[in-house]
Formats: sequence, structure tokens, C-alpha cells
Amino acid sequence: MAEDAATLVQVGKPAGRTWPRGMFGNQPVGAVLLCVVLSAAAVAATVSNLTIQLPSALWLRSLVAPDIDDMRQVLVHYAFLPRLAVSLLCGAALGLAGTVLQQVLRNPLASPETIGVSAGAYLALALATLLAPSLLAFGREWVALAGAFIALAAVFALSWHKGLSPLSVVLAGLVVSLYAGAIGAALVVLRHEWLASLFIWGAGSLGQQDWTTTLWLLPRIGAAALAIGLMVRPLTLLGLDDEGARSLGVPLGVYRFAGLGAAVALTAFVVAAVGVIGFVGLAAATLARIGGARRLSQRLIMAPLIGAALLWAADQAVQVATGPQGDLLPTGAITALLGAPLLLWLLPRLALGWEVPALTAERLLRTGQPGLVLAAIGLSLLLLLGLALLCGPGPHGWAVAFGDQLQPLLSWRWPRVSAAFAAGAMLALAGLMMQRLTGNPMASPEVMGISAGAALGMMVALFSLSDAGRPVQTAAATIGAFAALLVTLAIGHRAAYAPERLLLAGVALTALFDALILVLTATGDPRAMLLLNWLTGSTYGVDANAALLTGAIAIVLLILAPLFMRWLDVLPLGPSAVQALGMDVAKTRLLLLLMVAALTAASTLIVGPLTFIGLMAPHLARRLGLARAWPQAAGAVLAGALIMVAADWIGRTAIFPRQIPAGLVATLIGGPVLMWLLRRR
Amino acid sequence: MTYERVQAPARRRGWINRRVALGLFVLPIAGIQPVSAAARPLRIVCLDDGLAETLLMLGVRPVAIADREGWEKWVVEPPLPAEVADVGTLLEPNLEFLQQLRPDIILAIPYLDGIKPLLERVAPVTTIGIYTEDGQPYRRAIEATRQLARLVGKEAEGEALIAATDASLLGVRQELVPLSARPVYVVNFMDPRNVRVYGRKSLFQEVFDRIGLRNAWTGETNYWGFSTVGIDGLATSSEARLAYLEPLPEGAGGTLTESPVWNAMPFVRNRSIMRLPAVLMFGALPSATRFARVLAKAMTGEAAHG
Repeated sequence: MAEDAATLVQVGKPAGRTWPRGMFGNQPVGAVLLCVVLSAAAVAATVSNLTIQLPSALWLRSLVAPDIDDMRQVLVHYAFLPRLAVSLLCGAALGLAGTVLQQVLRNPLASPETIGVSAGAYLALALATLLAPSLLAFGREWVALAGAFIALAAVFALSWHKGLSPLSVVLAGLVVSLYAGAIGAALVVLRHEWLASLFIWGAGSLGQQDWTTTLWLLPRIGAAALAIGLMVRPLTLLGLDDEGARSLGVPLGVYRFAGLGAAVALTAFVVAAVGVIGFVGLAAATLARIGGARRLSQRLIMAPLIGAALLWAADQAVQVATGPQGDLLPTGAITALLGAPLLLWLLPRLALGWEVPALTAERLLRTGQPGLVLAAIGLSLLLLLGLALLCGPGPHGWAVAFGDQLQPLLSWRWPRVSAAFAAGAMLALAGLMMQRLTGNPMASPEVMGISAGAALGMMVALFSLSDAGRPVQTAAATIGAFAALLVTLAIGHRAAYAPERLLLAGVALTALFDALILVLTATGDPRAMLLLNWLTGSTYGVDANAALLTGAIAIVLLILAPLFMRWLDVLPLGPSAVQALGMDVAKTRLLLLLMVAALTAASTLIVGPLTFIGLMAPHLARRLGLARAWPQAAGAVLAGALIMVAADWIGRTAIFPRQIPAGLVATLIGGPVLMWLLRRR
Repeated sequence: MTYERVQAPARRRGWINRRVALGLFVLPIAGIQPVSAAARPLRIVCLDDGLAETLLMLGVRPVAIADREGWEKWVVEPPLPAEVADVGTLLEPNLEFLQQLRPDIILAIPYLDGIKPLLERVAPVTTIGIYTEDGQPYRRAIEATRQLARLVGKEAEGEALIAATDASLLGVRQELVPLSARPVYVVNFMDPRNVRVYGRKSLFQEVFDRIGLRNAWTGETNYWGFSTVGIDGLATSSEARLAYLEPLPEGAGGTLTESPVWNAMPFVRNRSIMRLPAVLMFGALPSATRFARVLAKAMTGEAAHG
């Protein structure tokens, strides 16, 4: 693998901005070179894997007519070779899907993963497996297709009124992905006996035991590719602005749908066949573009080739590491593990054509009485706190506890309630700060990988130190969050914090983290199950000490918050306005970022990295009419606490005596709220 | 240390145990043990199925266990009385619920050490490890049986259970003498391609040793005694039989038989496959007996069919 990485760097380097375009005309030389190098590495690994399994004299024989009495030949013919074929097919399909999606949506961030299609297909299959296995008798393919199209329909419904604009589609896609992922995680937590198999498949294991998957994929991918091939000209025109394309007489809507349909079908086939293969679609399409494939026709050829070579090389490398047919290190997780850093490295070299509109461009109502709105949220919060502390089911049904009964119950309930309160409030504030700082309405600790960084820091502490207490975990998480922030912002720096770059970096970091978790879980380390419980945001283990510590951190940080409010009012106006007011932009940013890292770390330790309260609460406050930094911050903090406390209470009571982790419930109830908000825009 | 805290109430109630001993023969059948105020039995919450099945065989009904709905699927026997409550998942038993059950003692395993401080706020916790790094689950299951028997004041029943288990394994050994030449794999299917195969440090291995069978899997295992491998990893021995345990994951049964790799496996080609009903793989003595019995039934059935 080291060899792979080294060659990638060598090839990628000239593909950057300094690439002398004139030298080779308009040929995508970088992309071709990358393809050749990846394939060479893949061939070497394949030969080495084959040699271990079978003497070379028998290779041809096992390919054409394997001796059924020789287990080695059977394995090569029915396991190794189909796996190779599937890796090529799936890689090509994902590269093609990614390119078409990017073209149709005119967005370099678009890919099967970022617009929710992969997640939708996966969730549909997971649901069917656990709840209605009889559905799978019709073919898991159809279930996956249904899920992918439902996800796409949801994304469309959420972005329709915006004319399916790139920003709104990706925002909706991210929300749908996160939501589908949360439901999937809930299934796993509730029905964990099949956890391992769901993980092996969900993480994109390419293992095969005959040629049926290959033969199933081949005509379907072929048909979709052919359809795309016939649409090259209209798809090319879709890359222009709407006016330009319309003036040429192209019915935009029809081709957009046809292109999307083909890309979604490609993704659904891949997910149905092998599960979610992280990042190949995005990486292949992006690498083709960076490698000099500028025309759509070039990209439509180069991206599938790069995708196929990428997945082939990754899969063979996995088999080198685990032995032939190693199933337990899912290739899909490994591609994400490799693809994410690659993308992070490439980002500064990526020429992005368009930028999303800033937060200030939105036209939203402003309330004349922010005090009234805040009082209403505050009152609901108080009511909810009462419910959460006093009400709950017991052995004899629901009961309101009071007097003697209350004391023992309260000792269990108050740490969880107060920790959820503090975590929700801190995440909301962190989200608000990120959104105002970057001028990006999609910014939040969860989306931008800061939560993932915190989780990563905590994981390192958990696995490297034998006995990491909560203070150590908090410190490690803060370091992780700040490191992730720095990485994200270093990448965004050259583009003056252009929202898309920040977002892409965040997506890459989050994927990297997800991949690590998947790999750890697949290794069967007992700590992985504990980690999974924490990841989904369980407040189960929160005792009085942890609650007090989190509460104290929250109070300190919230007291500091007013110091930042003036900056937060000014920052969305842009750096020149900030300088004109006599503020040091760099120092302001650094202080804000430190604050965000601390807020994120302290809350992630309690509710896990996946809640997306930080994304949701500021939007909620803004849509309730709280426009200026001060009232919006106060509203967001209250709303964040409200959602989190509600989530914890629902999680403790909904399926009593079992419990649903609070972070998961927050996502489950927060998702529709956010979707409703998006819809109203 | 926790052990002493538990012993105190047990000794105080010594007279109860004598009285209960009179009803010895009724008890194993009975979740119907009357709970009168005067003869309040020890209220035990048992967070491990292996310990719970041992308690049931001793004629003691725990107040609650974790993951109750998994019992019929993974443990099957002894049957779980309807009165036994469910405290939620193994890793996150509901603490409020636990508290309201007012248990006298909570039985846990080392796997749950992470939540032990929380459990100890409810009631004294006794941790009994049958599966550990150094293996030997059978010996540890015997120790666990004795420890539990002392705890509930049923030492005689405990010794009887140990003796009965030894005797039943010996019986199976004699029964299987003519069939013991070929080694056997014992697996659970994870999906159509991957299995958990049980080997060293597993209860099944120790049962094998006692009933005179050879385990075909001699490779590495974790401290629960299994290793997860692809089915092709089971092709090393050409004479081995395969015993696979229920339950099968959704979808595994259907696609299994269609796979050429599966059909090329030696044990498939010489029709040496046995489907066994579920046996708790991380169990104690009752699981050992059950495993030996269902395996012997499958093997002798297979031999009878030729």
C-alpha cells in the first residue's frame, strides 16, 4: 500500500494547478497516468494473491474449466475471479455515477454518497433484512432500487421549490443520508445479534462465491452506461447555465431526470450487490477532473476507468493484508479510509467553478419581539425538564414519581437530563458560530468533521491508554476536534474559506472516521461494541461526576459566549467589513475556532458525533425570526437543549425497558424538523 | 469481597432453604414457586444467560434477565418461566427498572465490568467469569455452578447438576465411540459466506474432549472460543463433518445451497452436514449437556441413514 500511496503522490502532483495545459493539448494525461499506475499496482497485487492460492501452471485451467475436485481451483474460479470482476464493475459504475451526478447537479460535491442515494439503498436493504425478510425473496436488488429512489425522491421533494439547485440538492442529500444512517444505526443497536453480518455487508465486502453477482451486474450496468452514452451531448449542455442551455433548445428537466435516474440505478445496483463502497464515486469523478479530463466525454470515460482501477487496487491490497478472500476487512471501508486523505490532499488543487450563496443572501422573516420568542422556547424547555425528571414507565406502567419514590429515580435521571441539556446547548452554540464564521448555512460541527475529529481523539485515548478517565477523554476529544478544525480550515484557507471546500473537507474527514469505526468493529474488538454504543449517543453511562463536569464546562463556555456576539454579527458581512471596523480577522477567527473546538469536544463526549443539533438548532432559531447574533444564539442554545433533553427522555421511555441512545433519537426527531425547514425555504 | 456482601442475606435465610429443599422435586419444573411474604427467596437479577440457565437448573428463578426475547432463539432450554422480567439489553440494562425490581443481588460477567459501578448502586454485584483469556470454560462452569449453588443455598442440587452433566457426557461418549474417527466442525453462520467456527477455549471444544470427538478446527480463537472465517477456510480437512447451529441469519439458508464454493466443500460433497437446533455457545453446564445431546442425536441419525 505504501507503494500505491507514493505513486499516487507522484502522479497527482503535476495534475494540480501548475499542470502545463499546452503541452499535451486537451488530453487528460494526468488521469490516464493515474489509471496506469493504479492498474499496475493492482496487477502486481493480483498476481501475488493468485500465487499464494494456486501454482501458476493451473491459472488458465481454473479460469476456463476448474477441476471440481481441487478446492484451490474451485476457490479461484468461484471466489477470487468473480470478486475481481465485481470490483472492476462496481468501481466503474460508481465512477460513472459520480461523474453524471456532478454534471447533472453542476456540483463537484455530488456523488452517490453525498446525495443520499447510497444511504437510501442501504437502509432499505437493512430494513428488509431485519423486519421483512420475505421482501428479499423478490430480489434484494429491487429493495435497494426502491430505497435509492425513495431517497432521491425525498431529496427532490426537499429541493424542488429551489429548482433542484446544486446547493439545495446537496444539502437535502446530506440530511437524507444522515437520517437514513441514523435509522440504520438504530436497527443495529436494537437488533444486535446480526450486527456482525450487517456490518460485513454494509461496509462493502466484495467477497463472492459464484458468478451470479457479476452476471447480474453486467447487463444492468451496461444498460445504464449505454443510456448515459446516448445522452452525452445534452448532458454536456447541462453543464452550462440554465439560460445558455435553454437558448440552445435543450429541455433541461427531461435530461436532468434521465441522467439522475441512470446514476441512481447504477448506485442501487452496486449497493444491492456489495453494500456501500465508500468514496469511490466521489474520488473517481474528482480525480478524473483533476487529471485533466475537462470535457464531459473525457470524464465519462476516465472516471469509470479510474474508479475500476481504484477499487481493484484497493480490493487486492485488502486481500494481500488479510489473505485471499479475506472478508473481515471490508473493502468498502478501506476505500473510504484511503479515499478520504487522498481527497483532503487534492482539495487545495481542485478548481471549483461555482460557489454557494452565503447565509446572508437568505430572505427570512425577522421578529420584532425576540424576547417573546425566547420566552416561549424557555417555557417549553422548563415543561420538558419537569416531564423528563418526573415521568417515566416503571414495572407497573407509566407513573409520575413524587415523594419517596422520586429520590432513587431522580439519582438516575438528573445526570442524564443535565448532561443532555448541556450537550445540546453547546452543540447549538458551536453550530451557530460555525455558520456565522464561514457564512455557510450547512456548516456545523457534525457536517464539517469537527465532531468526527473529537470522536477520533477520544477513540485514540480509549485504545492507546489502558485506563482513560473522563478528563483524559475530554482533553483528547478537544485536541481531536481542534486538529480536525485546523485541517478543514487549512484546506479552506487558500480559497478564503469558500464554503464548498470546507464542506468537502468535512465530508472527507467524516468518511475517514466512519471507515475507521467500521474497520474496528469488523475486527471484533470488544471495545468496538462499547464504542458503537457511545457513537450513537447513549447517555447511559453518564453519572453524577460526568454530568457535573459537562455542566461546568458548558456554563464556563456559555458565559464566555457573549464576548463573541459582536464578532458574530459582523463576520457574515465579510472580511473587509470586519477589518474596516478595526478588528483583527485572523485573531478573531482563531479565538472563535478554539471556542468551537471546546464546545464540540465537550458535547460529543456525551451525545456522540452524529446528532446534527449543531446544524439544526441555529436554523430553527433563525426561522423563528431571531436574526441578530445575540437572540439567535440564545434561541439556538435553548432549542438545542430542548431537542436533546426531549431526545434523551424519548430514548429512555419509548421502548422501555430497552433504551434508544439519545443522540440517535435527536437525529431521528431532528431530521424531519430540518427537512420541514428546508421545504419551507 | 462482593461475595461476602452477598453471603450475609443468604445465611440469614438459611431456614428458608431447608424448607424449600423439601420441595426439591417440584422446583425444577416450577416457575410456580409460591412467593409468600414469609419465605421470600433471594431476588436475583442475572445478566448472563449461561448463569441464568444454571440457576434455573438449580430450581431458582431469577427475577429478571437481559435480552429476554433472545432466550428462545439462542438458549431454548431450560424453558424460561413467563414471570422472569426483561431488563433491556445486555450492555445497557435499564437502571431505573432494575432499581424498582429491588434485587438482592445482581449476577454479571467480566464483559460487563464497564457498567459495574452503575449496577453496584442498585444492589451488590457478583461477577462470575466462565469465558476468560486462559480458556477452560467447562472447569469454570463447574466452579460457577458451585458458587451459584452456595449463593442460593442449594449445594446438593449443584453437585447433582455437576454429576449429571458428567454422566450425560460419558453416556454420549460411549454412544459415539463407533463414530468418533472423523473430526467435526461446529459453526454458526454469520451470512452465506462467513461462519463463526468454535475451537480452543470454547465450551464446545471441552465437550468434544469429554465425548471423545476431534474438533476439525485447530486454528486460532478469541477468548470466547470462536474465530470468524469464510466458509472456504473450512476446506482444510477432507474427512471432516460439519455441524451448524441454528438460528440461521435471515437469508443464509436460501443462498447457501446454490453456491458452487459451498457445493465443492468436502463435507458437502460427501454429505456430512448436520443441522443442530440452537445451543447457547457461551453457556454453562446445561448448554454442555444440550450440545452433547443434540450433536449425538444428529450424528447417530446420520449414521442410521447411511
